[in-house]
Amino acid sequence: MNRLTTLLSGIFLIFLTSWLGLVAYSATQLGRLAPVPDADTGATLPALLGGDAIAGQRIYAAEGCVSCHSQQVRQLSVTPYDVARGWGLRPSVARDYLRESNAFLGSSRIGQDLSNVGVRRAEAKWHYLHLYKPDSVSEGSLMPSYSYLFQVRKIQGQRSDEALDLQGEDAPKEGYEVIPTPAAKNLVAYLLSLRHDYPLPEAPVKKDATK
Amino acid sequence: MSENLYPSHHADDAEACGLSHAIDSSVRLPVIILFGNALHWLVVASLLSLIVSVKLIAPGFLGGMSFLSYGRLAPMARDLMLYGWASQAALAAGIWLMARLCGRPLGTGTGGVLQRTLIISATVLWNLAILLGTLAIFAGYSTGVEWLEYPNWASAMLFLSFLLIGIWALLLFDRRTSGRPEVAQWYLVAGFCSFPWVYGTANLLLTWKPIQASAQGPIQAWFCGGLLGLWLLPVAVAALYALIPRILGTHLHRRDLATLGFWALLFLGGWSGIDRLIGGPIPAWLTSVGVVSGILFIIPIVIIAINLMGTMHRGTPKVEQQGVYEFLKTGLYLLLALGALGLCASMPGINGALNLTGFTEAKSQLCILGVVSFPLFAVLYRSLPALLGRDCWCSTLSGRHYVLTLVGLLMLVSLLLLGGLFTGLALSDPTVTFLNITSYSYPFHLVECVAELLLLIASVILGVNFTVALAGNYLFPKK
Repeated sequence: MNRLTTLLSGIFLIFLTSWLGLVAYSATQLGRLAPVPDADTGATLPALLGGDAIAGQRIYAAEGCVSCHSQQVRQLSVTPYDVARGWGLRPSVARDYLRESNAFLGSSRIGQDLSNVGVRRAEAKWHYLHLYKPDSVSEGSLMPSYSYLFQVRKIQGQRSDEALDLQGEDAPKEGYEVIPTPAAKNLVAYLLSLRHDYPLPEAPVKKDATK
Repeated sequence: MSENLYPSHHADDAEACGLSHAIDSSVRLPVIILFGNALHWLVVASLLSLIVSVKLIAPGFLGGMSFLSYGRLAPMARDLMLYGWASQAALAAGIWLMARLCGRPLGTGTGGVLQRTLIISATVLWNLAILLGTLAIFAGYSTGVEWLEYPNWASAMLFLSFLLIGIWALLLFDRRTSGRPEVAQWYLVAGFCSFPWVYGTANLLLTWKPIQASAQGPIQAWFCGGLLGLWLLPVAVAALYALIPRILGTHLHRRDLATLGFWALLFLGGWSGIDRLIGGPIPAWLTSVGVVSGILFIIPIVIIAINLMGTMHRGTPKVEQQGVYEFLKTGLYLLLALGALGLCASMPGINGALNLTGFTEAKSQLCILGVVSFPLFAVLYRSLPALLGRDCWCSTLSGRHYVLTLVGLLMLVSLLLLGGLFTGLALSDPTVTFLNITSYSYPFHLVECVAELLLLIASVILGVNFTVALAGNYLFPKK
């Protein structure tokens, strides 16, 4: 290892092993996974994201949601508790992330896993309240308020359908209402799109699974 | 072991005959500027880390403002620690060590001035990229990819400026006059080659031109493992290999083993990152690779420990080198602890419970703030007096910095570990609700805040010490 070229070739070859195994393999194999047809409906799985959900994914990235929330239900052979806890019906697989622009797998679970949050919490209203004032719907939550994704405005004529049902001290002043901004709407559309509950060839869903 | 096998005595001779002085004056400005910038980012990163940890005990703290939300501050703090502090200090340490070990000044005359200007300009570019990248996260333009949150243009600037600085380390090695390279030089060459490879590949595939998301997980894990294991860790290990024998005035113990340790570290450093995705949405064989490489990673660490602990038995440092020696010794012990932790966390049966808890975070913090930072501190403490040509450190402040950093780090890591263990066990009982677990984690987060505060005080002390040391040079210029 006396000459730069000898040392460099050795280093190059040894770097190449993990690069081929983890990067090139992933890019060429996992990167070419394709959607599969849904046997029941004829649609494709995983489902396409709507435009609002795609925009919401940018908000998810910008707000750093991945700092606290993972999006992966782990294999039963490694831990049965992700499924047992109700975070998903089945473990997540690479194909589940096809439609995303980024796979927000995460490395920390200060908050709950979100791979199936769209199944667990299917109501947009709940998500709006949760984002605006996490404590109001899940007491003791460590999640900060995302009130800056909402707008407090004077009620003009009739109260808006979108206005949040806030109680007690969270409620805005008399005559005012809290409504989600487009950013909040997109983020919630993205959260509602998160579901790994459909069967894939490599990840079947047991019919009798209810929890 | 014969003299020519280990050229430390050549360097010592050189020190006597003034070559070291020529080397030091050739790299003085670039190295001091790199270290100075690294230190101010260290202070900022520590402050942000403290705010982030307070937010975990009081979610409403500094709330309601988008740019101060947890999700933006946390990646800002982490990236500043990685690129602002650790990578920049590693560049500074790497260039100084490489120049000294190679017995070669950067350049003389007009060529030297040009080289220095280029390195300093690249340093300005590096820091500009970090500043703008941080502001972009602040303003909500984060890519959302962990450890790669800077927008495309900022990461491209970082990549380019690394090339402009790092190339000189390789050129110094190529033109060395010191003969057969020593272990530290292998590690430096490997580190300086790996950053562009790892950072370039990951940015290309994840942020510049993202590939289909189903393939992103393993690539991201490879990047996180590689950034630590192939760039920062090798430079830190190089500092240990270079300085410990010199401070003790002795040879390296069992140099024959070092070759194996070197190749094993480079091999496993690339593969072991995947251990953070054990059980994740990746093919089963990759999970197995994660388990195996996570466990095997103890091998290079044990070899490094045999080399250096054997060396440490051979002598005692001089009084004036005691401080630097403490940092190096601690860095080595922390490396062993990291190995042990990695071994535990990868074991089948427990990896499922520990992964994604505080355990994962504890491992990265221990690596960045301990295993990597302590040897870098040592190089800083050792190089500055040589660069300035006089004893410049306030030893009281240096001592406080050492104690506070060590206490803060040990508190932080042990709390994260305990918290992780607790969360991991609690999550294994589906009847315990998630919010229940959250409420029990409060005391852990509380002590973490204290630890972050200690780390902030420590980095401020180091910053003050450094500033006073530099200012002293103007107040009492050398004859």
